[in-house]
Parts: sequence; structure tokens; C-alpha cells
Amino acid sequence: MVTYKFLVDWERCIRCGGCEVACKQQNDVPIGIRRIRVVTINEGKPGEKNVPMPCMHCASPPCLAACPTKAIYQRDDGIVLVDKDKCIGCGYCSWACPFGAPQFLRGVFGLKGKMDKCTYCVLPFEGGAERAPKPKCAGFCSTKALLAGDAEYINAIYRTRKAGRA
Amino acid sequence: MATKAESILSEIKMSRRTFAKVAALSAAAALGGYAASTKFTDKLFIDAAAAPSPAVTRTKSICSFCSIGCGYIGVAEDGVFTKMEPWEDHPINLGGMCSKGASLANITNSERRLKYPMEKVGGSWRRITWDEALTKVANKLNSIRNTYGPDSVFFCGLVHGSIEEAYMFRKLSMLFGTNNIDHQARLCHSTTVAGLMNTFGHGAMTNTPIAMQHAKCHFFFGSNAAEAHPTFMQKVLEAKDRGAKIVVADPRFTRTASKADLFLRFRPGSDIALILGLINVILENGWQDQEYIDNRTYGFKYVKEAVKGYTPEVVERITWVPAAQIREAARMISENRPSNIIWSMGVTQHSVATQLVRVCAILQCILGNQGKWGGGCIPLRGHSNVQGVTDMCVLSHILPGYYSVKSEGSWKWYAQCFSDTPSTSGKITFDELKARFATHNGESMMTKVGFTVSRWYEGVIKPEAEIDQPHNIKAAIFWGMGATSMTEMIKMKEAMEKLDLLVVIDPFPSVAAALPDRSDGIIVLPAATRQEGSGSMVTTGREMQRRDPIISPMYESKTDMWILQQLATKLGFGTHFDYKSIDDVLREINLAVRLIGYQGQTPERLKRQKENAHTFDPWDGRAKGGPCDGEYWGLPWPCWTTDHPGTPILYNDGAPVMEGGHDFRAKWKYPADEPNAGEKIVRGNLPPAGTGGTRHWTYDYAKDPTGEVNRAALAEGNPPTGRGRAMLRVYGWTDEVPKHREPLESPEPDLVAKYPTYEDKKLYRIMTEFKTEQDRSIAEGRHIKYPIILSSGRHVEHHGSGAQTRNSEYLVEIQPEMYVEINPKLAGDIGVKHWDMVWVESARGRCKVRAKVTERVNEKTAFMPYNWGGIFQGVDYGDRYPDGTKDLARGDSVNIIASPGYDEQTQMQETKVALCKIYKA
Repeated sequence: MVTYKFLVDWERCIRCGGCEVACKQQNDVPIGIRRIRVVTINEGKPGEKNVPMPCMHCASPPCLAACPTKAIYQRDDGIVLVDKDKCIGCGYCSWACPFGAPQFLRGVFGLKGKMDKCTYCVLPFEGGAERAPKPKCAGFCSTKALLAGDAEYINAIYRTRKAGRA
Repeated sequence: MATKAESILSEIKMSRRTFAKVAALSAAAALGGYAASTKFTDKLFIDAAAAPSPAVTRTKSICSFCSIGCGYIGVAEDGVFTKMEPWEDHPINLGGMCSKGASLANITNSERRLKYPMEKVGGSWRRITWDEALTKVANKLNSIRNTYGPDSVFFCGLVHGSIEEAYMFRKLSMLFGTNNIDHQARLCHSTTVAGLMNTFGHGAMTNTPIAMQHAKCHFFFGSNAAEAHPTFMQKVLEAKDRGAKIVVADPRFTRTASKADLFLRFRPGSDIALILGLINVILENGWQDQEYIDNRTYGFKYVKEAVKGYTPEVVERITWVPAAQIREAARMISENRPSNIIWSMGVTQHSVATQLVRVCAILQCILGNQGKWGGGCIPLRGHSNVQGVTDMCVLSHILPGYYSVKSEGSWKWYAQCFSDTPSTSGKITFDELKARFATHNGESMMTKVGFTVSRWYEGVIKPEAEIDQPHNIKAAIFWGMGATSMTEMIKMKEAMEKLDLLVVIDPFPSVAAALPDRSDGIIVLPAATRQEGSGSMVTTGREMQRRDPIISPMYESKTDMWILQQLATKLGFGTHFDYKSIDDVLREINLAVRLIGYQGQTPERLKRQKENAHTFDPWDGRAKGGPCDGEYWGLPWPCWTTDHPGTPILYNDGAPVMEGGHDFRAKWKYPADEPNAGEKIVRGNLPPAGTGGTRHWTYDYAKDPTGEVNRAALAEGNPPTGRGRAMLRVYGWTDEVPKHREPLESPEPDLVAKYPTYEDKKLYRIMTEFKTEQDRSIAEGRHIKYPIILSSGRHVEHHGSGAQTRNSEYLVEIQPEMYVEINPKLAGDIGVKHWDMVWVESARGRCKVRAKVTERVNEKTAFMPYNWGGIFQGVDYGDRYPDGTKDLARGDSVNIIASPGYDEQTQMQETKVALCKIYKA
């Protein structure tokens, strides 16, 4: 059984923004929505680290548990998606998510609007001509810091790197 | 609070809606569109699927921004460039791209592009036809030529072109009869070329990016690769994962520095002293590779003498780096060999830059790294094809392939090539070519170096008596040149206003079209982007790759090749440009450009490599099996024959030449004061080759149209350049071995007294002030009035002058505004909070920008990105652009206030050290 995951190798991320732009380009994401965003801690100081933050497609997603309308669901391959017909824009998922992955467009009268998030690049093809999902953010990652694919496969890559670093 | 960033964002939203309506993207939008806040239902998908499916093409191409040469797959649907896919088996980037590269489709589709030729008449822009525009330009150029002579026209730019187009551009200037042609390489790596060529023999990066994986220590010195060359870091971090160390020396704690094992923060402009200090420590401890030095270099004793005065304690005083850190850095680069030295503009843009490049090269020789996998000199070039355009010598002192303009022999060779090439029908003799040039003071201008792009404006504004040509420059052609990357922008603006004609050829009208205050006499021509044209490009690692168009040119834009052909025809020498295809141009290059080995990169081999990219091993870039078996990716030059695999590592004498081996050049200026100098600068005479017959040092291959000499040399197991030694000493130069000299604007008057700059000198047709300017700075008390050292560099999200990237919604969302980085202590002292507006002022002028308060810089240094334009000294020039082409994000340009210094060999501008003050706006 395939389980799709992201793995962030923060020793490698240089915050070039390739993942952010590749995501926008692939999914026509509007300005203001950041399905993936690179966050820098300790900027300009020793200990500076960059962390790309997409939806991590958690094994046990807190957003899914928090969603009162069951709009958030998880596919058998681990990918977490949102059914926008069911979403009421309450924002509970945003509170529950440890990574800031759920995104909202600011609408009229202060409403949050429906939640939008990383789809692992499977939408809008879900149910259509199926192919192995290949998120563009990881495909275009300039330093291969962001790894995507079957959990077993990316773990093997990461283990090799860690072995070299030790 | 409606900040400027927010207003830009709302502008973006508006433009996206308009764009979705007008562009022929309906099918693509339904498929890939975000569809506002509704779910992507099955219904939507089925509807789209029921619509006629678009004709989809997938084209492998190469990114058009930095010089690493990343591959990608461009997807076009019904002729519209809609999506990009990673080219995962491309051996250089393995699919990876930075934000700029990933935005290529977005930029190509920008509605802010220049859509048709326009002319500024009576203060407003008017649409004209291509024929009208080119006829006007050609007639004006010819009339200037007839009245004032060909030197009154200045051609510049085309760094974004393919090598074929660059070659055609230089050919155009040769046939027009002037050496007043130059391009961006003057501003980025002319000093690297001069420094490395005079030390080793070739002026290029000595490894490929792929080879960086083999290094044991990376020494970044004046390079912020994490922002300027992101995919290069893939190779560096791969090496790090295998145990390599990273040392970063920079005035600023860059994103690259955040990956370092050791970081040295030094004072801008003290670079040479720092490296001399490292060499001092290495020699003091006996860490040098003496066998390498004895066998492969000349002039070690002079270096030994020169570094005596640069003990870590002396260097600490000059560079502000603690002596212990200098010792630690020397130990780290010595203990982890092969180590390399990686630089960019941090090294090259100084008044002493050629010497600075030389000292880096000397360091590599002392450590014995030069010519090894992972070791050596790694100058990272700026534009995707700037190495190729440099090789085609769109430069005022050399002809394609680094043939000097000063020698009539070069011109005879090119007259012969232009006539003999089967690619065109034109014929010209040397005498006819010479007659195209003016004479001045009784001498032909043919063999005189021309104006440089860094100081071309002096040719317009200086009195005629002060310039070495018959008349002032009256017309300038800015071809893909944004005009914010040259210093002294106030003077340049004045020059642009004084010209009779300014022609701007660009996909975006760029700052060049908006900067001058003039109501007439500007013609802008829409060039196609790199995504719409074909041609070859050369990466920073000398690898030649082929681009194919993803779509045909949008709007009325035309490829550079088409424009060059039309212009040449209208100027009256079209028969030399009647190429049937771009491949014909490359064949002419294969014929003519022999000095650096451009013989093996035929169109057929390049296409074959592209189709078989998956057979190349990403570890060493060499094909294992398949039709390209044994070839290195991109056939890195020198590639001497059509069965040569390319030379990934320059000066590597550990491999046979037919397997990519090489050696230092043997042809050097003879050090007349040295006993037995001949034996010291070559490694033994070569046996007789096919031609000469007598024993000699190098083969006479550079003007051999048959290629027989190359083959004879290879048969003897030697590179045609011979087997020489690296010149640690350059005989006859002002500084034969590099020494520290203070920048023109120095914060330390007592160091200026001890380490003064050069005497004033006439360079490239114009007097260049060194000592005078440095003395003026001290006399005016600039070190007191302007207490902060200003340096500049790149964003990762923007490129060059930003003409393309500042028009991408995606990039502007991430990096919307120009800023100056200042230290929290300085911010506190001047009463400025993060993101307040401030003035940054120097003796030249001032800029109004945001203050970014950060510890990246120390309290004595400030940093500004140079990718901005469209605002000039606080005044927004947005309304001057042709209708609908106003840059999405505009900002003030740092080069208004940068230093007036220039390199002593090449006239590189000194952007990295100026003095400024910062105060609240």
C-alpha cells in the first residue's frame, strides 16, 4: 500500500521560493493564498534555518478531527483533501493544524471564505485519468530539500543523507 | 494601513482577471484553474474533458535566468505556454529550479510585455510597424555613420541571446565598422576573464557545477549562491552531505553563510588582504602543495615575498576579521582538499578586481587544487548564456573566441571566415573590412578598443577632445539591457537624453525606455523571450545546451535572430546574414571560434545529447552507454574535434586529452628579466606538430580552418594550447603579484595612506580616475560625512535589472519592494523602525527605499539589492513606460549612488564598496 508523504530536509532548504512559485503556476493559486510557504527562523543570525511548510498530509490529521462538517477527508493513499461544497469556512482546521497549511481568502464582511490547501497536486485530476501524484513543489525543489513520494522511498533518501552527515 | 505592497497585490488580482479573459487560455483555465472558491467537482472535470482536448506539446528547454543551466519541460496547450514540468533526468539540476525559473510561463504570458514596436513622438508613445521601425533605425544609424563615422554608434547588450545571436551581433558591429559594442559581461565577470586568462590561459570557470559534488571544502568568497545560483547549492549541499566543509567569507551573513561551518565577516574592499593573509598562514605552516607548485607554476618566489607583509594580525587591521578566524579558515581549506574558491560579483566588482581574481587563482595553485575534480576557481556567471556571449565576445576589445581587436591578424581571420563560410553568401576582403572603419589621428579605429558598457555615457557627454574617437556617440542600441546594472545612473540618464536616437530591444520595455527625460527619439522593439526562440547557450561551467522554442513568439514580438537579419539587410550588408537557420550560425561558429575549442559542439551533437539526457550520470556528467557514450554533458569547451568528449575540468593533466584532459596554456608574455624564462613558463617543448616542423611551445591552431592542427596535437596527446605553467606572476603588470589597495571610497584614511590605489589611467578611450577620486574622497571627508559602507547584491526572486521578474505576479508577491538592510543598532541610532521609508545618500545622489532591519549586516555596513528600477531618486517613473507596460513592481536603483570606481584592467565598475549615510524619509 502506497502512502504519500512530504519530508522536509531543513539542512538543505535555501529558501529560493521555487516550491512556492511552482505551486502557484501549476494550480493557478490566487495571490494571497500560499499553499506552501517557506518559513525562516533566526533570519540573519547563526542558527538560521528555512522550512518549507506545505500540508504535511499527516497520518492522523488534526484538521480532519477538528472539522465539524466532515469536509476534510483522507484518501487511502494518505492524501488529505477538502470538499469545498461541505466547507463552511469556520477555520477550526486552521487552529488544529500545526503547520499553518489551511488557507483562507479574505472575503466580504470579514468572512474567511472556504478553506483551501495543498492537494499534493492530485486535483483536479482526482477520479480522472489517474497517475502517480507528483507534487510540483518537490519536483522543482532546487536543492532537493523537499522530498515527496511514497514514504518508504523518501525515507530511504533521507537515511542516506543522514548517514553521510553523521 | 494600505501599504504599497498591498496596493501592488490588488493590482495583481485585477490584472489576473483581465488576463484570464483576454488570453486564449480558456481550455487551460478550465482544467487547471483555481475556479474561485468552489470545489473542483467531477462535473467541472467532465465538462472540461468533453471540450475538445487542446493540442499539447512538451518541449525540453533551459532556464533563461542564472548561469547554472537548469533544464525544464515547457508544456504548451494550443500554442499557449501553460505549465512547466521538472526535467528530472537533466544531469545538472535533476528537475530543480528556483522561484525565477519556476515562473517562466508566468513571465512569458505577462500582459505587461511590449506587444508591438513603438516610438516616442511629442512626449507620447505611438504604435508603428516593424518595417517602419527598422527602416527608421537603419536610416538613422547610416546617416550618423556617414556624418560622424561608425564610432558614433554604441551597441550594447544581448546577454540574453543565444550564442548564435551574440555572434551575429558582434559580426554586425564588425561590418558596421566599430568596436563600440559591449555587453553585461563587462559588468559582471570581465575581471574574472582578465584575471584567470592571464594566470591559467582561459578566462572561465575551471570546473562544471556537477564537479562540485567531488569537493571536500567549498570556500565561498564574494558569492551568495543560495540566492544568486540556487541550484548550484544542490551540488554543494550534496557534497556537504558526503562530509565536505563550507567556509563563507562575506561582509554579510547571507543565506549561503547560514549553511557554513565557518563564517568570516570582513570589511568590503579588503578582499585581497584577506586572501593574502590566508596564503601567509598556509606558507607559514608549510601546508602548500610544493610538488604542484614546482611542476605546474611559475613565480612562486614572488608570491612568497609578497605575502610576507600580510600576517594574520596585519590582515585583521585591514579586514576587521579576527586573526584567529583567518588561521582557522586557512586550516580548514588546507586540511580538506580538494577545496575550491567560489565567487561572483563580490570579487569581480572592485577597482582592484582583476588582481583579486588573480589572488584567488594563486591560492588555488598554492593548495594544488587547480585542475582537480571539485577543486579550482569557480566564478559563477550571472546570466544563463553570459559565458557563451562572452565567448562570442560582444565586447569592445575582442572578437569572437577572444581574438584581440588590436591585431590585424584577427581581422584577417574573420574576413576569411565571413567569406568562406558556407552558411552565408556574403564575401568581404580584409581591406574592404578595414575600409568600413574610421581613421582617427592617422590610425585605423579597427584595431582600437572601444567604449565599455560601464562608461559608454562618457562618450556622449565628455567633450570630443577628451575621448579617443573622432566624434561623440550619437546613437545607442540597448538590446535586452535593463540599464539599472550600470553605476553612475545620473550621468547615464544625462547621456541618454543627449543622444540623437535611443533604441531599446527587449521583451519588456525596461528602465532603459523610461529613464531618460526626452519626448522624442526613442524606439522600442518587442523582442521574443528565450521561451519563444531557439539557439544554444553556454552555462557557467562551459557546457553548451540547446534551447528549443516552447511556443512561437507572442504578440508582434520577433526573435533576436530575425531582428538582426532584418537590421543587417537594411544597413546594407544582409548577404553576410542570410542564414537559413540558427544551426547555420552555429556551424559558422564551429568554423571560426578556434582559440577556445568550439569545434566539437555541432548542432547535431547538441540535439543528440538533449534527447539522451537520461544516459548521463549526474555524478560526473558523463554518458554511460547509449549514442553519447563517453561524452560529457554539454561538451564543455575546449571541445577540440567532433569526437572529443569535452573538457569538464580545465588544466587537469591527470587525464588523457581525448578523455577530457587539459593543461595550462604555454603561450605567455616572456618575462624578460628572468634567466631561462622559457623553461620556467612551459613544461618542456612540444614535439613537432603537423604544421610548423620545428620544436615549439604551442600548436598554431587558432587560424587553421581545416582543424588538422587540432587533430595532430591530440594525436600527440597534447592540448593544442600546449603544456605550460600557471603564471603566479604576470610580467609587466602594475602589480605583478596582487597586493592590497584600498577602494576609492574608503572609511579608513590611514589605510589609504598605506595602501593607496592606482595612478589615473586612460582606459577604453577615456581617462579613468583612481588616485584623483580617492584623494577627493578623503579631502571631502566622505569617511566622516558618509559613515556607512554600502554594498549591493541580488535577490533570489529577481534577476538582473528585474525587467522580467518584476513583472511576474508570483515573484512580486514574494518580493514586492526595494529595501536597504541595516543593523538593528544603526536603526536604533537613526530612529528608524523596520519597514520605515529611509533615504540612502552618497556623494552621487540618493535613493528612497524601505529599511529592512536585520542582523545580516553589521552596524557599519548596509546592503541593497540591485534588481530595481522605475523609481529614480524617490520619483516614480511609472507613467513614462509605453501604455500597459509599466513594471508591476518598481523601486529605486542602488546604482544611482554606487561608487565611481572602475577596475584597472577592464573598467569593471566598483559596486561593492561605496560610502553612504542613511536617514529617515
